Amino acid sequence: MPDVFDAKKVGDNVPKTELDQVAPHKTSQKHVPKKVIEIPEGVDEHQLEGHNHNPLSAFCYYPDNVKFINEDPEEKIILLLRKHPITNLGWLSITFLMLIAPPFLSVASPFEMLPWGFQIILSLVWYLITTAFVLEQFLSWFFHVNIVTDERIIEVDFVNLLYREITDANLDQIQDVTVEVGGALRTYLHFGNVVIQTAAQVPKIEFEAVPNPDKVARVLRELRIEEEQEKLEGRVR
Amino acid sequence: MEIFGSLGTPLLFVVKVAIWLFLVLYVLFAAVVIRQVRVMIETLQVGLEKPLKGIALIHLIFSVTVFVLSLFIL
Repeated sequence: MPDVFDAKKVGDNVPKTELDQVAPHKTSQKHVPKKVIEIPEGVDEHQLEGHNHNPLSAFCYYPDNVKFINEDPEEKIILLLRKHPITNLGWLSITFLMLIAPPFLSVASPFEMLPWGFQIILSLVWYLITTAFVLEQFLSWFFHVNIVTDERIIEVDFVNLLYREITDANLDQIQDVTVEVGGALRTYLHFGNVVIQTAAQVPKIEFEAVPNPDKVARVLRELRIEEEQEKLEGRVR
Repeated sequence: MEIFGSLGTPLLFVVKVAIWLFLVLYVLFAAVVIRQVRVMIETLQVGLEKPLKGIALIHLIFSVTVFVLSLFIL
């Protein structure tokens, strides 16, 4: 006789992880929590590993005061992810070069031949361009976030200042989660891509260059298991 | 000053108009940035809303200042 899927067995077979230790499963019939990794009573979420209050953080577990568009009132944000800060090194280097460029440009003959008024304004224009570059790069990084809630995964991406793209998929639509960590820098600093295949209209959601990709995959796996349990127990919201 | 001396004011005038045109477009861009920051903040709030709005506003003020300055200096 073929094995029948049993959520309890699945739950029991899942290896214990750090997250499990911090937030153990509650399976009491009297009080069944909505989520596997819901914080148990007595444990302060501020003590959880990965929890912080830095708005520039690239990895925040149970973030405080985070809200996003179309959020359900009952929805709880589990993870807020951004690209690892080291990915900003490229544009920061370019910014540094742009900032120090005017003194070098001033010795170039065509620039030097301009009247002083033109030289001043052109220098200011150069710094305006630099400011625009910094603003665009920073805002693109800051607002390109991946959010994992107890119901779905969301990717918010501002491709440029004029184009916004928000993709989401329910947890029960996740089919496969792949962690990609390649290259010396990514291995050393422990960040990489988490590729999520979904049954939603958008077949693939990619969390790019996020810190601790293994932890992200683990959280997603636990949430999926809980989603399965909810389905079996008829507790789907 | 040979180039500008030989070609005289017409070349400088072209450069001046080009700078003004660029600065007008830049002021519009700075205004768009303010609008865009507002849209971004509506999309996602993480507790850094006021500083971001402030930076976008300072950016607009800076660009307008440079434009006004160019009208007097050039």
